[in-house]
Amino acid sequence: MRFLRLIPGLVLVLVPTSHVVAQAPIDGPRFQPMGFGDVSYIFADGQAEGFLVGQLVGQLTAALTDRLTIFTEVSGTARSDGYALDIERLFLRYDFADVFKLSAGRYHSPISYWNTAYHHGLWLQTTTSRPGMIRFGSRLIPVHFVGILAEGTIAPGALGLNYALGLGNGRGANIARAGDAGDVNDNRAVTFAINWRPSSLQGFQAGVGAYIDHVPSGDTEPELRERILSAHIAWTPGTPEFIAEYARVSHAPDIAGADFEHTHALYAQASWGLRGAAAGFRPYARIENINASPVDAAFTPLGGDYDAVVAGLRWDFALLAALKAELRRERAGDGERSNSFVVQASFAIAALSGGAM
Amino acid sequence: MTRQRAVTRRNRWIPFQRRAAARSPVAHMRWRLALAATILLAGATRPARAQNPADRTVAIVVHPETMVSELTSTQLRSIFLAEQQFWPDHSRITLLVRAPVAVEREVVLSRIYRMDEAQFRQYWIAKMFRAEVATGPKIVYSTEMAQELVTAIRGAITFVPASQVGPGMKVLAIDGRKPGEPGYPLN
Repeated sequence: MRFLRLIPGLVLVLVPTSHVVAQAPIDGPRFQPMGFGDVSYIFADGQAEGFLVGQLVGQLTAALTDRLTIFTEVSGTARSDGYALDIERLFLRYDFADVFKLSAGRYHSPISYWNTAYHHGLWLQTTTSRPGMIRFGSRLIPVHFVGILAEGTIAPGALGLNYALGLGNGRGANIARAGDAGDVNDNRAVTFAINWRPSSLQGFQAGVGAYIDHVPSGDTEPELRERILSAHIAWTPGTPEFIAEYARVSHAPDIAGADFEHTHALYAQASWGLRGAAAGFRPYARIENINASPVDAAFTPLGGDYDAVVAGLRWDFALLAALKAELRRERAGDGERSNSFVVQASFAIAALSGGAM
Repeated sequence: MTRQRAVTRRNRWIPFQRRAAARSPVAHMRWRLALAATILLAGATRPARAQNPADRTVAIVVHPETMVSELTSTQLRSIFLAEQQFWPDHSRITLLVRAPVAVEREVVLSRIYRMDEAQFRQYWIAKMFRAEVATGPKIVYSTEMAQELVTAIRGAITFVPASQVGPGMKVLAIDGRKPGEPGYPLN
């Protein structure tokens, strides 16, 4: 394990020194700005109603050479007492080849499809909100990862196997957050994901992921060993859309002979893009379920199970803007079912290099 | 004064060209030149597909030093989707794509990407968002610009009308067929 703790440091040296063999683009470094934002109006049982300015997310990518790239992403989130600024992603990546790209920094955890495909890009996702299992601030699945990541594509095209292998800090003292300021223990987290994305099946992806860590469970309790396994299948080519994802999150006290407690979470979402006179409209529906272990010390604050049914309509009224109306019926723990209705305008600010698409 | 008003009133009912011709031979010539220029301009700005159906054949061209002379349709699609970002000699692939409205862009979107314009934009925005590419494809605004850049940027690949392949451009065979040959897939 001591060797594992040395690897991130070695990679930090390797990535910047590798760029000496890379060529600068013929027109100098290339910068790619991009942004996402949303405004919602919420009607809800027993919750605050009214207008909600969601997140404003800014992303800037700088291709310093043809192989060395810096990715940055920051978000501003509305709170009752102002706005919270956060660094969502920040990493330096060196592309050795299609099969091997190495980076260091802060990422979206690669173990969840939704987390990597949409994350803060609300306009990219069909619905107004993320599934409960991957919701921001949730303790279930770590949405960010701080460390090093090796990734690549094996046989792009016909086979189209993509992998990601990461070594990093794991969860922070607040397990809903990544360990940005250093690891809270001496055990580095390991994450692995492999996705099948053949180019002959546009929009199809199937994959599995794993995450292994030790997480704190309080001052007096022993640490918890954590094992997360996930699987997904997604078909998002255009007219039909189908996404289904499952995760099993397991914890056991870090003492000999302790058994793992399992929490199961899943969702399935389907939508259909209408054509003809109704082109631009996309009705959708999603079911969600979290079956939380009642004795898992890490999830005690979750308050038990969660299930939800979501139905809505998305209207792409402009090229990079969409209006969504969504009805959600959900129940957390042993509480009453609650209903909410959200109308949301979401947009993207983006252009391909050269200023046009 | 009264006579001048009467002439003016009468001229309103005379067709414009006859009035122009009536003014002077020089004015007549100018009118004809303007008409000819308008017809020429209209012809030049009309979409190329209306001029020559053969212009819908698209050639895939690469930088002359690229060590590839043939691709399969699957490989081509993988490169244009940026799933494959490096050539076999490990040089970076630079994708050049024509701006909207060009006929060759329509062909490439339908035959290679299998997407419409909206899906194409969403594809690249999602690709950039997921950090799978640093930037989107480089946009070119004319065939001449595509020709110039593909011969200047090592590892570049683009597409041009087969009838406008310029000197120094290396044309790739797709599935073993060059543009114009029976069975060529990018028509």
